[in-house]
Amino acid sequence: MTAQKKRTKKKVVVELTRSDVLKVAAATVGAVIAAPLLTTGPLSPFGQFKQEQLEGEPQVGHGAVTGEYHWGMVINLDQCIGCEYCQRACSATNDVRADDPWNVVIPDKTSGGATFFLSRPCLHCQNAPCVEVCPVKATYHREDGLVVMDYDRCIGCRYCQVACPYDARRFNWEARSDENPYVPAWGDPEVERRPRGVVEKCTFCIQRIDKALENGLTPGEDRDATPACVNICPVRARTFGNLKDENSRVVQLIATNPTLRLRDELGTEASVYYIPPKEGI
Amino acid sequence: MSTSAFQQKRSFQLPFSPAFLIWLGFLGVLLAIGVYSAITVFIKGLYITNMTDSVPWGLWITVDLSSIALGAGAFTLSAIVYIFGIKRLQPIIRLAVLVGFAGYTSAMVTLLMDIGRPDRFWHPWVFWNVHSVLWEVTMCITVYLMILVTEFAPVIVDAKIFDKWPRIRKFGHFLHRFTPFLAVLGLLISLLHQSSLGATYGVIKSRPIWFKPSMPIMFVLSAIAAGPAVTVAVAYVVEWITRKRTVPHDVLQIITRFSGVGLLAYGYIKFWDMAAVTYYGRTPGVSTAFALLQQQTPYPFAFWVGEVILGILAPAILFLVPRFNKNPAAAVLGALSAMIGIVIHRWDVTVGGLFVPLSYSPGTAFELPIGKYFPALIEWGVIVLVIGYALTVVTLAVKFLPLFERKEH
Repeated sequence: MTAQKKRTKKKVVVELTRSDVLKVAAATVGAVIAAPLLTTGPLSPFGQFKQEQLEGEPQVGHGAVTGEYHWGMVINLDQCIGCEYCQRACSATNDVRADDPWNVVIPDKTSGGATFFLSRPCLHCQNAPCVEVCPVKATYHREDGLVVMDYDRCIGCRYCQVACPYDARRFNWEARSDENPYVPAWGDPEVERRPRGVVEKCTFCIQRIDKALENGLTPGEDRDATPACVNICPVRARTFGNLKDENSRVVQLIATNPTLRLRDELGTEASVYYIPPKEGI
Repeated sequence: MSTSAFQQKRSFQLPFSPAFLIWLGFLGVLLAIGVYSAITVFIKGLYITNMTDSVPWGLWITVDLSSIALGAGAFTLSAIVYIFGIKRLQPIIRLAVLVGFAGYTSAMVTLLMDIGRPDRFWHPWVFWNVHSVLWEVTMCITVYLMILVTEFAPVIVDAKIFDKWPRIRKFGHFLHRFTPFLAVLGLLISLLHQSSLGATYGVIKSRPIWFKPSMPIMFVLSAIAAGPAVTVAVAYVVEWITRKRTVPHDVLQIITRFSGVGLLAYGYIKFWDMAAVTYYGRTPGVSTAFALLQQQTPYPFAFWVGEVILGILAPAILFLVPRFNKNPAAAVLGALSAMIGIVIHRWDVTVGGLFVPLSYSPGTAFELPIGKYFPALIEWGVIVLVIGYALTVVTLAVKFLPLFERKEH
């Protein structure tokens, strides 16, 4: 008798039958299959367009670039002496916490046992994991390929920090009240301190690049338009410029030297190229 | 005679037993500790926690992931009853939805504590990044929480207070008619975010022990297996305390058996995941990472004892061997054990993965030190808040809501 009761209940409660559910499921599956076919697959009206785009841009590494500039850097590991000036100039100019720098210098050894120094700004990847994972698009690509942050939008979830393959991100665990030991000896702050609770990162000194382009200067050539770390380097290990301009010094350096990019196997397409030490890595 | 006078007034003058008052006092203490900790964190900032730039996620993210997994009974059981049409399990649905609600809102509370800018918690709803797994998780959890509330509305309006507002009650019952539809939607959305919580780790190619396609599968399977068992345990415990039948025992036994099978399925996937990642298909990066964890952290112990024995084998035995399956104490013990297994798994994934240092230099000698992290007292304090909150929600619902009536509308 309880079975009968249940049967009557079933009629009242379930307004969707199992076949309805199957229909919904079938429609969902159909939609899921149709969506990629229509957008990127063979049925896509954009297929032709994409092919043209691919043909028009044979170079790799400009993934996020849509403008005429793609800012990049070449760091010569053979020249770097590990003086850490770049780190200090960066921390002064961008008012970064002295004990938590954006731009790091680390001593390392080649497989032959020779010491060299690796310095690392943000690599401004064209396939940037941090841009992909940010739930609110607080980290984004500018059209010149730079990976920058909107500090007013960041919610401080730190997913970008976890996702960055290069440890290039810093979180503001507390409200800043520290005195910057590198000011004014190594430069003056050109940007505001970031508030508590947001992640921050190297920008290649966008404040300089943006101002310079308004004034007709060339970033990489004119000092006022060039990142602080590049200007301060006493041995000119760092070169900055437009990777899309065939005459820029960065492109020349990449053309005439062996270069490598950090963790290239991840497909991040970094905008920073390294010239390895003469004896190899 | 005074009691009858009170009853006529229909106010909240229910006969509270001294034991219940003591329990309320205990909850009050938990909440007081928790609220104090939470306010301290809000005022001072996250630097008072032990999280650092090298281990930026810790206990809170672990608890956040765990409470969502343990709330999975709601969608699993709703799907079983309303989609697969196994009506026998109907009596547990209300409790399952309640436990799910407690779990998901607990996760929300923890997440709010964890983000650096809680004042901007609403940003994911406004500034969409559809490429982000975390965005997808946020949206799904929000939508699913609304589904849970709608599913639970008919139960809330059956509470005595709503005798005065028949219209609200009517509306609540009207919502009930959509339950099967909500169950379908809830199933789809839950499968999505329970998996993508694993994908949050699985897609991070820079971290050797995270980057694998099995991550979402293991998260969703373990949640489907353990979630319903937690609901069963709550049912038994409530029965012991209130000394009233909650859900028929044969129903609870079916569900524990389902959980046991689910755990075995999870264990099977986990075995092949381990075999493929650490043995057959190992890469140098992964081997180095596991070697580091093995040498310098209790990871192997946590994995074998916490995840495998406590999390899978012990509860599977307690749920599946007929003699134990019929014993409520064994079921509760099994659920507790599976719960611990889930928490340890989420901890191992989160914190273990972050302990492995990134190596990005092309050279041979440089290596970042292995991560160090143990939760600070204040972090535990916030977890006390979350536990206190969840217990309070369940307690109040059991006390005031008609959770276990088999009435149909």
